[in-house]
Amino acid sequence: MRLPPGPCAGGTFIQKTDGPPVRSAQQRNRAVDILIQQILNGLSIASVITLIAVGVTLIFGLTGIINFAHGEFLMIGSIVTWLAVQAGLSFYLALVLAILAVGVMGFVLERGLFRFTLTRPTNGFIVSLGLIVVLQHIVIFFYDPNQKSIPRPLTGIWDVAGVRIASVRVMVILVTIAVVALTFVMVTRSRYGRALRAAVDDRDTAALMGIPVRRYITGVFVLGSALAGLGGALLIALFPITPFTGGTMVMKGFAVALIGGLGNLTGAVVAGLILGIVEGFSAGYGFSAWTDAYSFALMILVLLFRPNGLFGGTSGPKMA
Amino acid sequence: MNTPLSSLRSLAPALVVLAILAFVPAIGASNRMLSLAISAGINIVALYGLSVLFGQTGILSMGHAALVGVGAYAAALLARDTGIGFWLALPIGGIAAAAFAAVIGVPSLRVSGHHFVIMTFAFGQLLTIVLTNGGDFTGAATGLDLQLPVGFFGMRADDLVPYYFVVLAFVTLSAIASWAIINSPYGRTLRAIRENEKLAASLGINVGRHKIGAFVVSGVFAGVSGVLLAYFLRHISPSQFASFPSIYLALMVMIGGARLLLGPIAGGILVSFLPEVLNLDPVQSRILYGVCLIAVILLLPNGLIAGLADGWQRLFGASRKQAPSPAAGGKHASEAGR
Repeated sequence: MRLPPGPCAGGTFIQKTDGPPVRSAQQRNRAVDILIQQILNGLSIASVITLIAVGVTLIFGLTGIINFAHGEFLMIGSIVTWLAVQAGLSFYLALVLAILAVGVMGFVLERGLFRFTLTRPTNGFIVSLGLIVVLQHIVIFFYDPNQKSIPRPLTGIWDVAGVRIASVRVMVILVTIAVVALTFVMVTRSRYGRALRAAVDDRDTAALMGIPVRRYITGVFVLGSALAGLGGALLIALFPITPFTGGTMVMKGFAVALIGGLGNLTGAVVAGLILGIVEGFSAGYGFSAWTDAYSFALMILVLLFRPNGLFGGTSGPKMA
Repeated sequence: MNTPLSSLRSLAPALVVLAILAFVPAIGASNRMLSLAISAGINIVALYGLSVLFGQTGILSMGHAALVGVGAYAAALLARDTGIGFWLALPIGGIAAAAFAAVIGVPSLRVSGHHFVIMTFAFGQLLTIVLTNGGDFTGAATGLDLQLPVGFFGMRADDLVPYYFVVLAFVTLSAIASWAIINSPYGRTLRAIRENEKLAASLGINVGRHKIGAFVVSGVFAGVSGVLLAYFLRHISPSQFASFPSIYLALMVMIGGARLLLGPIAGGILVSFLPEVLNLDPVQSRILYGVCLIAVILLLPNGLIAGLADGWQRLFGASRKQAPSPAAGGKHASEAGR
């Protein structure tokens, strides 16, 4: 363990000249280092979860469909990435392939299945449960239930003022920020986004105003699926995955979407950030066995006091 | 709404089927068949609870396996720490699961219908995490063993054939209990909530309390089913009560149809025996379940049995004047809604 760096290296450390002996200052800094590392780790996982949450929240807002199979879409994205990397493609090409493949899958499933459940969201939800089972076991059928991993696309580890930062995690966070920001701008600024929000607000009136609502529903489903594909590619860059990874990830995605308010894009992003920091803190303080419980506990707490989420959600499209 | 006679008639098919099932050991079913039948029966007990919740009240629980787990762990812990055996564990397991259901239900039902499924799912996951992290008390990830024998008036009832009858008796009991609930004023209140929550509330029905009540009632069924499961498997672990068993329970109730008394029996038996009959490995059979679930929801939204009955009526009830199709479609939509 090296000594605390000089004052120029970062404002996070308080240089002690007197008071506690050097050793305890070192220990404290070490603890801070680990904490920062863990928060970065938490944020990189939370990035993937945020990608799910954004897809879930967009799809729910417009269609009212609670698509639990979204985690499986993510897992398929990971599998496509894994296959492509195995075939010798570069990770970034594999990532694009995963986005495309899962996007196409979303299109096919929306046209083939979810279209028929638009008037009955509960049925859509149950269809998605069936899809979970089918998609998972198709992957197990063709491959196997074991862990799958790819070599890390970025192996560099930066040493910033004693904090060891894996570049792959930074890449995941940055890609997520870029994509979520792009989605955000698209939804809030473009005319397509305005039409989309109009359709969320009142599907019938939007249709009367000449907005092709059905096409928007398909479009949002494809967009959400593509985000899940991207999330899957990023996830397998961080961790090995199994065909069952989607299950826990989608629960966290839903937890984040609910904490933020289902249907609320900003809420999903902020809640993703909160979850990332909470999970990072807990891992940093040695409660890692309970990491999976936080998202659920947080969700239950938030819904107890603010049933519509922290930022207020929609209750889905209004059904006649 | 129903005269006593016609409501009795609705119980009859279920009792006939159960009476026929009582002859299964007599025709020399193999041990494998018997144990499949027992696990199907244990599921059916829980399914009856789920059918009160989903079929009558119209709310779906995706964490039902967790309630089964509460019953199972209650049985195992009681046996280990206090030596309390099977028969006392049954009511205690039922009460424990009901209490847990109340704990889940109060916060979950505060949020609107859409979110309830997610909340129950989350609680199911939480329970698995708690059981896994519970150390020696819950046996952590390896779970607990259960060694106490099942006695019945001085005889041992652990073997497959006697235990089959024990489970069958409980299936019959739960069918009757579920029938009694459906045909009581309480059941009518639940259906009123299912059909139109706002209208029910305007008639002075305390919607929230009745929903929680229905969830607690279904918890009793799940707890009893859990005790039966623990004494059948003799070893329980957290993964048995995680999210997937919950999905399978929901799948069974959907495939069978939640509103009919025969639905849980049909769903439980079909889902347990179909892979065996078709000679599929577990992976293939699960793919098949998923496809079945999707097909049933899209094609026969009221479940398989209701779909068959519908088809029967369409084939042989042609003399009855068919309603014009738009009206029929409308009725369908309102029934399948939630």
